[in-house]
Amino acid sequence: MSGLWPLTVRELKKWVRNPTFFFTGLIQPIFWIALFGSAFDITKFLSGPSGSAAASFLLDGAPNYITYIVGGVLTTMGLFTAMFAGTQIIFDRRLGPMGRFLSSPIRRSSIVFSKIISSVIRILPQVVILVVAAYLIPNGLKFVHGFTIVDVLIMATAIILIAFIFSSIFSVIATRMTNMQSIFGIVNLVNLPLMFVSYAMFSKAMMADWLGNVAQYNPVSWSAEAIRTVIINGSLTSSQWVQEGRWLGALAALAAGLLLLTYYLVEKEIRD
Amino acid sequence: MMDGTIIETKNLTKIYNGNIKAVSDLNISIREGEIYGLAGPNGAGKTTTINMLITRIAPTGGSATVGGFDIVRNSLAVRRLIGVVPQDFTADEDLTGRENIMMVSQFYDVPKAKAKENIGRLLKLVELEDAADRLVRTYSGGMRKRLELIIGLVHEPRILFLDEPTLGLDIQTRTQMWNYVREIQQKLNVTIILTSHYLEEIDALAGKVSIIDHGKVLITGSPSDLKASLKGDIITMTLTDQKSADLMKTVPGVIEVVDAGPNTVKIKVENADEALPRVINFISQHELSTIKLTVQKPSLDEVFLEYTGRSIRDEEGGMDRMKTAMNLRRARQ
Repeated sequence: MSGLWPLTVRELKKWVRNPTFFFTGLIQPIFWIALFGSAFDITKFLSGPSGSAAASFLLDGAPNYITYIVGGVLTTMGLFTAMFAGTQIIFDRRLGPMGRFLSSPIRRSSIVFSKIISSVIRILPQVVILVVAAYLIPNGLKFVHGFTIVDVLIMATAIILIAFIFSSIFSVIATRMTNMQSIFGIVNLVNLPLMFVSYAMFSKAMMADWLGNVAQYNPVSWSAEAIRTVIINGSLTSSQWVQEGRWLGALAALAAGLLLLTYYLVEKEIRD
Repeated sequence: MMDGTIIETKNLTKIYNGNIKAVSDLNISIREGEIYGLAGPNGAGKTTTINMLITRIAPTGGSATVGGFDIVRNSLAVRRLIGVVPQDFTADEDLTGRENIMMVSQFYDVPKAKAKENIGRLLKLVELEDAADRLVRTYSGGMRKRLELIIGLVHEPRILFLDEPTLGLDIQTRTQMWNYVREIQQKLNVTIILTSHYLEEIDALAGKVSIIDHGKVLITGSPSDLKASLKGDIITMTLTDQKSADLMKTVPGVIEVVDAGPNTVKIKVENADEALPRVINFISQHELSTIKLTVQKPSLDEVFLEYTGRSIRDEEGGMDRMKTAMNLRRARQ
């Protein structure tokens, strides 16, 4: 796909060269894990032997809330970063570069895929920082049953897929829009619902029935659960592998569908 | 293509939102190697025409070929062949000038070594070598225009589209841009399609011009032919007294002589270059003396006036025209 490489390089250069953009992105994961890890930890109200049994039940067997929540925070961070992939498209249109891209013999879709790929790449260092931060803070992330390279790959796959899914959705929306405010409006409308109507922060056992039922269809839940399962359990049993396969499979299928849809829609029309 | 025609439009039409007619039944034919001007006021349809030819937007009617390729069916081939310098800035402010050109060269799959060589030459051409490795956001308006000019040339296009290349530039920078454009056309041997609502710019650069208004071609020709077609250079003379001025009315071989103030006459002639010696002979024969003598040749502004019945300057300020231009701009976005 001609144009994809130079355009992706451009995005990454812009990212690395903008110190505010670059460093805030790197500090953000530390804030998230520290704040979410403390703010939503309801297991602190449970004490004594029966209390820790209840806590373990609510946290799917995780030794503490931070360990439980890491998969959710990673996913949510991916989601939030990805939702802004579309804004760059509107900037390009407003500031002029889009005119150059559209009159060049490159595939229209490479303009959009360069945003998607670069936003996925931008998330990866955040993932590393978040995991390290979670590990270092007091009563933080604990790998009770070990952690293997396979687990790392599963985590990375889940994050990459979730980031891909939401950057492509929001990029396609942006190709049809000229107004930055509209994009921000849509992001603000859906970001918290996507986060809270999912198993990112709380397990199904902690949710109202209807909420828990809706949340199982949210891709944010799939990614959060996929990461959580490997973090809590280390090496998986065969039934856990089946479940893991379902989550990652669902994410991959959705990502593949969006890849095709994005390609089709953007090749057809990208607003000038 | 056989006769050297590189761009041809047949009844090219663009209607926005079903009712805003930006370009209607436009027919132009551009020969290889020339600088072809599209002149007209804001909202005349110049940019829309260019945008169709560079395949950025699709026509709603008619057809056009660029370098022999149909702009709709073969848009990718057209894009490979052409270079574009749009009206607006397109360079990324967060990259350096050189990085911007390099990126665009990759869009055209120019081999890296070749691209480096071209970039060096082009930067030199527009005297941007020293600023090449600075971020574009530190550039002045004139520097950005120069950069835009060479970004459109990095892949050695056969055809270059320049849309209002000097819009918003001061007079000095404008003349400098004209020199660059001339140099590009001569050194790189490209066909240049130039739009401008500055008629003096078209006059200075273009070998052939189409004056368009309301999306239609009003007249096409070389600027000098168009001006000559008006058949009316004006010689204005102020003499020492009214008697001498009256005597001037009997000068032979002119179209007409009219009073133009105290002791002053305006002599309308077909061609001042030929008529002036006759007028001067007449003056010395009758032992008259002149205080002031000016010769005015028609500019493209007069040509525009002749064919549209309006001055391009009046039009720019006109409310209706402003509205049309704004509607077009909005429809384009």
